[in-house]
Amino acid sequence: MNSMKRFSAALLIGVLACSPLVCLADQTLSLTKDFVNQVKDRATVSTDLQVDVHPQTPHSVVEKAEDGDIHMAGRDNVIKLPLVAEILNARFEKDTMQFLNQISDGQSVSVTGVWRIWFEHPGPGQVQNQPVPVPTSSNPDHVFELHPITRFGTFDCLDSFLNITNPNVSPPKVYKAYSATTAFGEYKNLQVAIKATSTRVFLATAKTGFNYTEFVMELAGKPKDMGDSFMVMAHIYDSQNLEEPVVETMHRMVFVKGSPPAVQIQGLKKGATLHVLGIPRVNLKEVMAVANKHGANEIVVPLPYELIIVAVLPE
Amino acid sequence: MGLFNSTVLDVAIGLVFVYLLLAILCTAANEWLAALTKTRAKFLKKGLMQLLDNQPTSKDGSPDEFIKEFFLHPLITGMMKDDKDPAYLSARTFAAVVTDLVTAYSPAKGVNTTDEAGNSSDKAIADLERGLMAIPPGDVQRVLSALIKHSTGDLPKTQEALEAWFNDAMDRVTGWYKRRTQVWTLIVAILITVVANADTISIARRLWTDPVMRSAVVEQAKVRAQKPPPSVTIEYPDPDDPANPQVTTNEGNVLSDQEREVLGQVLGWHDGVLHDQNGIRWSGRVWLGRLIGWLLTVLALSLGAPFWFDLLNKFINIRSAGKSPDEKAKGPEKENVPAKA
Repeated sequence: MNSMKRFSAALLIGVLACSPLVCLADQTLSLTKDFVNQVKDRATVSTDLQVDVHPQTPHSVVEKAEDGDIHMAGRDNVIKLPLVAEILNARFEKDTMQFLNQISDGQSVSVTGVWRIWFEHPGPGQVQNQPVPVPTSSNPDHVFELHPITRFGTFDCLDSFLNITNPNVSPPKVYKAYSATTAFGEYKNLQVAIKATSTRVFLATAKTGFNYTEFVMELAGKPKDMGDSFMVMAHIYDSQNLEEPVVETMHRMVFVKGSPPAVQIQGLKKGATLHVLGIPRVNLKEVMAVANKHGANEIVVPLPYELIIVAVLPE
Repeated sequence: MGLFNSTVLDVAIGLVFVYLLLAILCTAANEWLAALTKTRAKFLKKGLMQLLDNQPTSKDGSPDEFIKEFFLHPLITGMMKDDKDPAYLSARTFAAVVTDLVTAYSPAKGVNTTDEAGNSSDKAIADLERGLMAIPPGDVQRVLSALIKHSTGDLPKTQEALEAWFNDAMDRVTGWYKRRTQVWTLIVAILITVVANADTISIARRLWTDPVMRSAVVEQAKVRAQKPPPSVTIEYPDPDDPANPQVTTNEGNVLSDQEREVLGQVLGWHDGVLHDQNGIRWSGRVWLGRLIGWLLTVLALSLGAPFWFDLLNKFINIRSAGKSPDEKAKGPEKENVPAKA
């Protein structure tokens, strides 16, 4: 290759480097800004869910994915993404389970649940408002969940916000959640690429898991009424080490109104502590704050996350 | 030796590295400018002016009376640091201050009337309505009356509507701020590019023809690739307000002394300003070349530091993966590095 050709090749690489296509290649979730703005400060979303696939019985209660939930995969006309809805502590929700097992495949049910974006089962086609294929399993590729469900049809599921337990065995089997050190050690290493256009927000991150974690939260401020929830900033400690927080920064905790944990958070003041069971979800409020600042310029940041508090555990 | 383990790749790495450093400088300059000009606080004030001006509070009073009272309210002054206007305001605080200011004009504040023997919420909304009737006509009066009517006289719903009104306005403020930031980013990128004479074509040519410089740049690029990516920090200035995160550029966006040295070698007006190395003024053709080179650099800087950091890592990985066994044994840069004196 002569000198001129090689110089041209160098310039070509430079020009290619300028192409935004390079950074578009990794995108795995595309949300509309309207939707994000609608839910970023809310705990729950309501929709009519066409329940396509679900098992007859809940997961067993042991650890990791054996979490006592029951999954249902379906399609809806509000979220418009591949999604899974999950009833927490499904063994406690006998009437709801009976109703679920009676409905026919594809039947539409009015559902309210905690929206949750988490890259545990990522896959292609996570583009909001695109046609969603009919799921063929109860756990299809998805990053959006209604988890936990708070109302299924006419059945109130808020009383399922308790420590995950199988009451049908003697003695009752209690779920072993990830320790704060393990789970938050994973969360804090996650990175996400955020990019926005005038109508959409794009998120790309690595696959993750660590759904349920037990930890001690210390309130950094007072709980704020956010409509369908109370939210509060808190420092996070491992229940086995209350000397030093497991992450340096405080995080937002979400307590769904009407759930047992929400009853306990009301009236607590800065400095109070609670031993809780939480599920992580992407913090869309923070995502939008980053997107508003950087817009079309993709930026890689530590994954913004918050915790949905599903149970208050004994001290 | 393949294309991706050659001088071509090193020149590309050098260019990407220079873009990255310049983009980091741009970001820092923008942050500094935003802090210096208090842009956020100004835009917030401008947004609030749009909502609350044109509302006198006394007969024959000036239209800006209400907004002045707003900024003198203890909830707002409590957020001021060194008497500077706040840069952030939550919707809840906005709603609380507006309702408190209007209610203060109620001639019978807190007094129960026979038809208001309900709960404290009913009394509060009645006080608010009386306060609205007591102030002269204006924008706030008109909007609040409409919100109360729309909320069927329910105080929490009225406050929610007030917060939504504020949030809508703040979305516009965010849009103004973003547009202003984009304009300033472009201006800063142009200034840095021209002042530093960061002409992409010249930089590429210099890296191509000077193996010592190329080697030094690639070495520093490899060091930079090991560092954390340029990113942002999300913080909550008020722990009582979980709905108000702030995004700031993190401390990782700092150039090391070695990187500054590299920039000094690669950029600058080494041949004299507007003259070539022989002292001859630039011809039209040279000017055109410079302008194209500067334009390429400005376009590159507009992509932002995180983009270039990501790309730098990809190129460094390609370079590391593409080494021949012989070169690996020799060490990373021996092929192109002449012995230094």
